[in-house]
Amino acid sequence: MIAMRLRRIIAIFIGKLAIVFSRIAGNQGTSFPGRLARQIYPPILTDMARHINREIIIVTGTNGKTTTSNMIAEILRENGCSYVHNRAGANMLTGIITAFIKASNLNGSRSFDYALLETDEANVPLLLQEVQAGALLITNFFRDQLDRYGELDYTINLIKNSVRGRKLELVLNADDPLLSDIQTQTGLKCWYYGFEDTIYDEVSSADSREGRYCVVCGHELDYQRYHYAQLGQYHCPHCHNHNPSSDFSGHDLQMNPSISFAINELSVKSSYQGFYNAYNILAAVSMGKRLGINDEVIQRAILHYQPRAGRMEKFLIGGKPCLLVLVKNPTGLNQSLTMLGQDPASKALFIALNDNAADGRDISWIWDADVETITRAEAGIKEVICSGQRSGDIALRIKYAGFDTDRIRIESRLQEGIAMAIRTQSDAAYILCTYTALFTCRHILLKMQKQPAEVTVEKRRMTAQ
Amino acid sequence: MEQFVIAHMYPDLMNLYGDRGNLLCLQKRINDYGYACEIRPLYLNDKIDFHSIDMLFMGGGSDREQGLVYNDLMVKADTLMQEIEDGLPTLCICGAYQLLGNYYKSYDGSLLNGLGFFDFHTEGRKDRLIGNILIESEIAGEKISVVGFENHGGRTYLNDKNLRTFGTVIKGHGNNGEDGHEGLWYKNLIGTYLHGPLFPKNPQIADYFIQAMASRKGIKLSGALDDRIEHYAHQQVRKKILGA
Repeated sequence: MIAMRLRRIIAIFIGKLAIVFSRIAGNQGTSFPGRLARQIYPPILTDMARHINREIIIVTGTNGKTTTSNMIAEILRENGCSYVHNRAGANMLTGIITAFIKASNLNGSRSFDYALLETDEANVPLLLQEVQAGALLITNFFRDQLDRYGELDYTINLIKNSVRGRKLELVLNADDPLLSDIQTQTGLKCWYYGFEDTIYDEVSSADSREGRYCVVCGHELDYQRYHYAQLGQYHCPHCHNHNPSSDFSGHDLQMNPSISFAINELSVKSSYQGFYNAYNILAAVSMGKRLGINDEVIQRAILHYQPRAGRMEKFLIGGKPCLLVLVKNPTGLNQSLTMLGQDPASKALFIALNDNAADGRDISWIWDADVETITRAEAGIKEVICSGQRSGDIALRIKYAGFDTDRIRIESRLQEGIAMAIRTQSDAAYILCTYTALFTCRHILLKMQKQPAEVTVEKRRMTAQ
Repeated sequence: MEQFVIAHMYPDLMNLYGDRGNLLCLQKRINDYGYACEIRPLYLNDKIDFHSIDMLFMGGGSDREQGLVYNDLMVKADTLMQEIEDGLPTLCICGAYQLLGNYYKSYDGSLLNGLGFFDFHTEGRKDRLIGNILIESEIAGEKISVVGFENHGGRTYLNDKNLRTFGTVIKGHGNNGEDGHEGLWYKNLIGTYLHGPLFPKNPQIADYFIQAMASRKGIKLSGALDDRIEHYAHQQVRKKILGA
């Protein structure tokens, strides 16, 4: 017994040291400390998770995990709750362990009200084996990083199989047909959130191709309206599968200049934009209400929550607004491009496409996105700067979307590319990037925000390749 | 204006991995050469009017879709093979490529029949062959570099040794990770595992198809397109694959 306790303390101690050293070394230090600690004391996560008093909440899904869990964290914080929360991107088991180590004491016995664990889809089954979770929130399932997880069906089944027989409540997106049979297939209590009619709905949807077939019988689905991608009001003409009714219903959605809508009787306002963010807010508020948190507390949390770390984070460089947006998959890219197209300002568009493991080595997803929207005059895009490890590929996508090749620039180096975007004659700059470029782009933007003069002076001419 | 018509087979079922980018690429290049181009979707149970189409394209699908497609194609099989013999430009990617062979045996033992157009078969394994791939192919005696991305559980084995392959593997897996070959090239038909999609970074292959379509229509294409971005992107991936 004592030997076990000692091992746990050593594991946590080493873990905490590793966190500090990673910081000093300048990297984010998210999965290494956790991996190290687990090697020393394998049951470390299970042990520390026992000290969560109220509930362990898991947030998963293709898009919106980070924003949704960040918002839930904000609601918990506003409510005065204590919680463990893993940082953006640290959403595999090792990252979660790191978060616990960071928050806990040397003995691993510090207790918290909640643990809020943003978890990568394939890691959900592993996590459920190690901790006793009370709730699993699924934001949505979209096509994402096929070369890591194989097909979407496989991922969804993985999760369904892992929750069966557990004492767990699910919080699900009622507008996603891919989630429509989870209740019957798992027998668990499900809470649903969804949007009623909005003024932004479409009758036909071009983007994304998953989820158009009934998960129950395989027949093609009829849609009365689309919110975006496969999210909307659907009905199967064959087996009559349709949206479950929502416990938390979003209505009267407005998105200009930024999001405001009501959930049941609670109205919320946020400085976020874009339909995908409206869903993230709806999901977070639904969780807050399910936890019994006061409406006013939830309202305040959402109102005050500012986008961070690339989820539409705003920088001001020499007076020019620059928005940093993370893009990971076709739906996310579509949504980001639609959103920036709705901004009336003239703009420079910078896109950095990397193909490291965390970005997805297969970059063909850019061809599944409807990039064509950027060619519309109303989108106001003056120039596109293509950057990152696969700058050539994104430049090709832009070219074949029909964008004027004279206004496509290729600059693989992130710093130089962002500088070009800032120098473009436009009212705003949008900096889109894939995951592994995010940290660096953010760092560059922060530096430029502090010293804008260095950017605007043209040191040398950048020419297109 | 003279129009090229490219038939996109089963766009709702066989549409993974961004392969529709091949069509966007062809369409724009044909436009830039001065011609119109229609991408015509063909769904299950649709009749194909071979007289009105200049090219056939079929992309990859998830395993369950292939069964549905096979049944539909069997009905059209004789005419289809005739057209291919006749030189109909045809591009079959991944699952569509596998369908051209005798059969696909999945790792759990189940057998999916193929059209039997060519004497080859595919065996599925649980571990997939994934990654960037560089092959060397040849057009009119000139060796060309082709880059793409492969992601397949199937290992394709050509029984007929006289079958010309799409290319030899410089780096990557290819048909089966064993014999150093990728794909299949028969007259104007290419079957391949290369996603990417294939055409944008390999404009010479794209133009091979456009040229083949044009010849059959008695059209002479003139002028060369500005492919600086294409070459840049090709070299970028090539360098990456070779570890330069």
